[in-house]
Amino acid sequence: MNCAIEIRNLSHLYSPGTPSQVTALKDINLRIGHGEILGIIGHTGSGKSTLISHFNGLLKPSSGTVLVDGEDIHKDKETLRSSRFKVGLCFQYPEYQLFEETVFKDIAFGPKNMKLSDDEIKQRVLRAAQYTGVPEEMLEKSPFDLSGGEKRRVAIAGVMAMEPQVLVFDEPAAGLDPSGRKALINLIKDYHKKTGCTVIVVSHSMEDIARLADRLIVINGGTIAMDGSLHDVFSRSEELAGMGLDVPEVTKIFAQIRERGFDVPLDVYSVEYAEKTILSMLEGGNVQ
Amino acid sequence: MISDITFGQYYPAKSVLHKADPRIKLLLTFLMIVFLFVCKNFFSLAVMVFVTVLATVFSGVPFKVILKSIRPVLVILIFTTFLNIFYTKGGTVYFEFWKFSVTEKGINNAVFTVIRIITLVVLSSLLTYTTTPTDLTTGLERLLSPLNLIHIKVHTLAMMMTLALRFIPTLIEETERIMNAQKARGADLETGSLIQRAKALIPIFVPLMVSSFRRAYELAFAMTCRCYTGGEGRTRMKQMKLSARDFVLLALCLIACAGVIVLNIFFEPVI
Repeated sequence: MNCAIEIRNLSHLYSPGTPSQVTALKDINLRIGHGEILGIIGHTGSGKSTLISHFNGLLKPSSGTVLVDGEDIHKDKETLRSSRFKVGLCFQYPEYQLFEETVFKDIAFGPKNMKLSDDEIKQRVLRAAQYTGVPEEMLEKSPFDLSGGEKRRVAIAGVMAMEPQVLVFDEPAAGLDPSGRKALINLIKDYHKKTGCTVIVVSHSMEDIARLADRLIVINGGTIAMDGSLHDVFSRSEELAGMGLDVPEVTKIFAQIRERGFDVPLDVYSVEYAEKTILSMLEGGNVQ
Repeated sequence: MISDITFGQYYPAKSVLHKADPRIKLLLTFLMIVFLFVCKNFFSLAVMVFVTVLATVFSGVPFKVILKSIRPVLVILIFTTFLNIFYTKGGTVYFEFWKFSVTEKGINNAVFTVIRIITLVVLSSLLTYTTTPTDLTTGLERLLSPLNLIHIKVHTLAMMMTLALRFIPTLIEETERIMNAQKARGADLETGSLIQRAKALIPIFVPLMVSSFRRAYELAFAMTCRCYTGGEGRTRMKQMKLSARDFVLLALCLIACAGVIVLNIFFEPVI
């Protein structure tokens, strides 16, 4: 079966052939399956953003190939263009890309570029608005009159309306308050459940990643340093610390509880799961 | 790509010219350019060329970089040479066909003008190569400060210029980011008729304007918070002070100017 995205021996250089040449990515090999939720972590400047810009061909690899749905996206202009619709990219602070007179028109920008019929566009806009919790009466407002959180939702809806097979988020919750953060993470989770499409999330927040992803890759110095399940990656906390990364707070707390002599599991990555574990231990009477 | 556009071509180095006072550099560049047009024969022009070569050598800016500054005026150079050679008449005729004639005066004029333009470009780019944009605007502000007497707010103008220069790289970065975001939504910037392409710029232009205004407000707010009230009573962290080096430069340039005048008198004008 084809992968949603497959990357073979990808390397990327910035300003090649000049004194300021930088190797951003080095020989990346990656297979992302259909329906997966993949988390990408790495410290600032590790190459995460460069990598996701390759998923829909915004950057051209210095060497190597990017296959979307088994097809080389740089084969010709048509494939490149259609890859933009197959892989939806939602950048950091997407609210700064809003430009239309009304929210409706802004969400419709992507589908319109796909040259869909007006009917289909309308349906997609309404569906995307529903996924992102944008109320219908907001659709006729100007996007510039909305609050920060509302703008973020509208911008995300603008990418979802293209109904891509793969949806990529770069720091989706950056700059939001804790409740907005939680709501957005849940929104992405629900979207994945409802549509079954592949979701890729880049984040600095280990908590967000732990709540969302099934699989995690760690990028360090332009290469993939780790690739595995949440458990595989977060159990190597010392290596992570060496790359300027961390494990979720709650995982650290559980490690400390264990140090004090309680028999708690170490693979606890979310507060919800932690709550359940502790409650079941209390009920089981394992703790004096 | 868009980020390749270089603005303000400062070349970092530690040379005499880099260390010189920006006010002196501005004044001397102006003086030298004026005297470039005072030159009337090849001897006085040679003095100016000599000064320029000397300045280039002492600027620490590689020859290759200097050459790059001449490239944009190449078309003008070729054009003026062509006009001068074929349209100036006088002196010995070397070559003639149909309505055109190549004369001694034409060739002289052409060579003279080419040397003059190249010297002009090199001199003025030396100024920008050896002076940071900030130093340049500060120097300009100080030089123009007498205009305050006739109620022109020199400080405000200089501050505006500094801020504009400061935000160029930021805006370029921002443009690139917005372009990528819209391209990711399938915006097509490369194909289509001129009108279609102009229309395709709206999704980039509107967010850029919005964020520029936001930035301007934020900056104004931050400046007010730090009690910025304009130029009055404002002191500088880096005080500009003339040193012996600056006076030596000034003296050298004045000698060159005197030389130009003397040689102009002693030799026949060619232009």
